[in-house]
Amino acid sequence: MTPSQDEFVHARNGEWTELRALLDRGRVLHKLAPAHISRVAALYRAVCSDLMRAQANGYGPDVIGLLDGLAARAHNALYDAPPYRLRAVWELLAADFPRALRKHARFFALAVALFLLPGALGFVGAYRSRSFALSVLPEQTVEMMEKSYAKGFDVGRDADTDVGMAGFYVYNNVGIAFRCFATGILFGVGSAFFLVYNGLTIGVVAGLVTASGHGKNILTFTSTHGAFELTAIVISATAGMVMGYALIDTGGRTRTGSLRAKARDVANLVLGAAAMLLVAACLEGFWSPSAAPAPVKWGVAIVAYTLVTTYFLRAGREPREPRP
Amino acid sequence: MALDNTVEVETPELVRFRYRVAGPVRRGFAYFIDLLIRGVVLVALATALAAFGLSGTGKMNGIMAVSAFGLEWLYYVVFETSGDGRTPGKRAFKLRVVKEGGFPVGFIDSVLRNLLRAADFLPVGYALGLAVMAGDHRFRRLGDRVAGTLVVIDDETRVVAPLVLAPAPTADELAAFPQRPPLTAWERETLELFLRRTDLTEGRREELALSAAPVFAQRMSMWFEDPVRFLALLHHRVTTPAAPGSERA
Repeated sequence: MTPSQDEFVHARNGEWTELRALLDRGRVLHKLAPAHISRVAALYRAVCSDLMRAQANGYGPDVIGLLDGLAARAHNALYDAPPYRLRAVWELLAADFPRALRKHARFFALAVALFLLPGALGFVGAYRSRSFALSVLPEQTVEMMEKSYAKGFDVGRDADTDVGMAGFYVYNNVGIAFRCFATGILFGVGSAFFLVYNGLTIGVVAGLVTASGHGKNILTFTSTHGAFELTAIVISATAGMVMGYALIDTGGRTRTGSLRAKARDVANLVLGAAAMLLVAACLEGFWSPSAAPAPVKWGVAIVAYTLVTTYFLRAGREPREPRP
Repeated sequence: MALDNTVEVETPELVRFRYRVAGPVRRGFAYFIDLLIRGVVLVALATALAAFGLSGTGKMNGIMAVSAFGLEWLYYVVFETSGDGRTPGKRAFKLRVVKEGGFPVGFIDSVLRNLLRAADFLPVGYALGLAVMAGDHRFRRLGDRVAGTLVVIDDETRVVAPLVLAPAPTADELAAFPQRPPLTAWERETLELFLRRTDLTEGRREELALSAAPVFAQRMSMWFEDPVRFLALLHHRVTTPAAPGSERA
């Protein structure tokens, strides 16, 4: 004899209320007393069987809905997501990020090409003719660039402006990198577009400034933070293209499944790039415009490039097997 | 068979429970609440900094730019990973982000689904995201697909009072029905949802009942006068087991 819905609810409601009260104590189950945790587990199993009984006996949608909700909440509390701790950040930077980049080295090479070739084109074009530069950038921007790099860095910049600019670089550059990544979902087209566009713009600006005789200034300014900033933008685009290509070559999976399979690598690349951009923003805000003599800045830039290259080539390699 | 958009989750205990998946409108409202909160925070911060006499300084610009960055890119990740898969906007509309399979959303998943907002937003106003959602029975936008997440409705239902038939069914009326009317579980559910609706006008109620009642009447070779009353009696007969001996022979 199956109990009626009212009898069933009456008999079971006590445990449901108890479970709800335990769950209301907070999301983080493992901080409760051990007795409570095992009680939640027991009540969860009871609710699961209540749910099956309710479905089998054809009770009303309100009872089933309530049990669905309760089971879902308890399930969420018992099967919590793996926590992301500080240690994970360290593992990302020490190993996962450079490993992910080495794994997708081909896409990185493609991204570098898509960035550097338009950059070189823009540089040569703008160096030779100002009208070429004007066809790429609006006149105001061109004049502003020529003016701002004409000054040089003899006096540096006051500390207050530095803070403001560093904040702006975080907002602007990390934002560009994230968009460069996200638009890669359009079969990689968005990332490729942002690479070409940014490459061309940067090339044109460099060409213009060089043509107006201040090439040394722009080189001095951009050399150090460029090691981090430009590399990171290219890496974000790499992540975007890996994602876009996952939609094309699915390896026998569904498109969504193929995306999911690449998600971890993609996230490691983007998070790593974001970390690099934060470094770059600090350098660009405080070091690059400083009054330090140009040769010192060049020296630091060489060190920076060496560090970045070594990092990507060496970090996170498995230790070699000892020779017998 | 679900009446609205639900996904079934099968747990390691081999129990299945259902989530209601949230559609674009409800998520849109939650988005606007979050947008509003982010805007208010930014304005409040600017006012506070100006009150400290920082307006126009590089310090203020720097703090504002970093805050704007945080509110644009980190707001969602912080709330989704620390606050039970809910931002304040989602909380207001009883929404929650979960992994496929019903697990809580992790850090990496939250990062991915929120970075891809930039793609879902294209070309303007989440148009691409909406188009992608429209083609998916679980309403996943691009970010949800890459991260493997769902947005579900976390609305805990309450057990409501049983439906009361007024006027009370007479023994004659009930006796006309078979002992166990041949209804599937979801037909019963449909009936109950219909009978619980209070927002219908009398005429519309009758009209709807008239579209369903003949189906059941024919199945049980019965005849009815008032379709609403007929459905109510049918539901009563299905859900209320007859007390032994109350049945007329």
